[in-house]
Amino acid sequence: MSYPPALQDIIELFEHLPEQERRENLIVMSDGAKRQEPKEGETFDLEDVRKDEECTDTVGVYLKVDEDNKVHFAITLGPLVQTLTKAMTSILCRGLNGARPEEIMAVPADFVPRIVGAELVRLRSQTVYYVLGRMKTAVKMYLDRKRAAQAAA
Amino acid sequence: MTSKFSAYAHPDALVDTDWLAANLDTPGIRIVESNEDLLLYDTGHIPGAVHIDWRRDLNDEITRDYVGPDAFAQVCRKNGITPETIVVFYGDKSNWWACYALWVFQLFGHQNVKILDGGRAKWTAEEKPLTRVVPNYPATDYPTPLERDDTTNRAFYHQTWQHMLAKKPLVDVRSPKEFSGETTHMPEYPQEGVLRGGHIPGAKSCPWATAANLDGTFKTAEELDQIYTQNLGLKKDDDIVAYCRIGERSSHTWFVLKYLLGYDKVRNYDGSWTEWGNMVRSPIEKGS
Repeated sequence: MSYPPALQDIIELFEHLPEQERRENLIVMSDGAKRQEPKEGETFDLEDVRKDEECTDTVGVYLKVDEDNKVHFAITLGPLVQTLTKAMTSILCRGLNGARPEEIMAVPADFVPRIVGAELVRLRSQTVYYVLGRMKTAVKMYLDRKRAAQAAA
Repeated sequence: MTSKFSAYAHPDALVDTDWLAANLDTPGIRIVESNEDLLLYDTGHIPGAVHIDWRRDLNDEITRDYVGPDAFAQVCRKNGITPETIVVFYGDKSNWWACYALWVFQLFGHQNVKILDGGRAKWTAEEKPLTRVVPNYPATDYPTPLERDDTTNRAFYHQTWQHMLAKKPLVDVRSPKEFSGETTHMPEYPQEGVLRGGHIPGAKSCPWATAANLDGTFKTAEELDQIYTQNLGLKKDDDIVAYCRIGERSSHTWFVLKYLLGYDKVRNYDGSWTEWGNMVRSPIEKGS
């Protein structure tokens, strides 16, 4: 299975790290989650902000697609989301920004354990998959709206 | 000691944030953080605190059970804990996992245990110091406990079954929708592998959160007495079993009943709903 090149690079970086370094890099990524928020005055093609029952806090997914059909995400996280979820948010934004919508929809979730490591993928850490799901949902909503607009035109 | 604490049955089972802040360097105390969020300790913790991971350090990796006496002693040794050390537990989620870790320490007879009232949330809300420096304490020679006491504070499936048949008090501390069977996961969590929704026949619903304030502190003795003694009808000499989904929320209730209200015979059924709800031929009830 191939991943978008930027995500592939991150996977290869993480999966070869010793456990302690992996944890330290995840903390760095978590610290960087704030940088994935929308910039002042930035506009998007789609905004999906909600609090789902299976997540501890509100997650906002902001998406825009440029003229080359490449997707750019911004994400906001409520203060109660877990550290791993924050880390995965940074990783996914870095790894998926610039990919095409179809590429994002095809990304399987099997890379998560390769980044996070078997020690941290376990009961009560399953929300690491949640942000990827929300990003894919946003892309699907964008594609559905685009198709509907094209059909109506 | 605060007037709030002095009204509890065992006021020495709690410390408050001001006391802990003043005793960070006091010899003979070890602060232990236990969280659900696996990386939270790494993002910053109370100065001097060590991290005990509920799964890695306290659960057996092969058998669904807790670690044995040897592994428990190893956990204590590597964290600089002796049998005399006063261990102060704190953590996220209103101290669910802190109470869980304290409960496991009790299985091995470590008596000097306390909970930080309000846990990590209160400490950080008060902007008390956090550090990313991981302390390194000299290893101790904590003696291997003779056994793990699985009778005083712990209930197994068949004991819970007998408890149900005898119509003794069973306290289901999950959310109301989990109790009724409307959902098989707790709010804000994904489904975690339970086949059926509902509760153990005869159990009474009393969600763990009824014992906690919004800031994560425990409610007052008077409020707790109202909840458990007046409303739920528990009596001091009752033989009580508490359960949730995997035993962490019910550790919180176990702590409240045993240490704050002074009920003598309270056990935590750590197999909880993931065991009972999935067990072949295990009866359930639905509805509130």
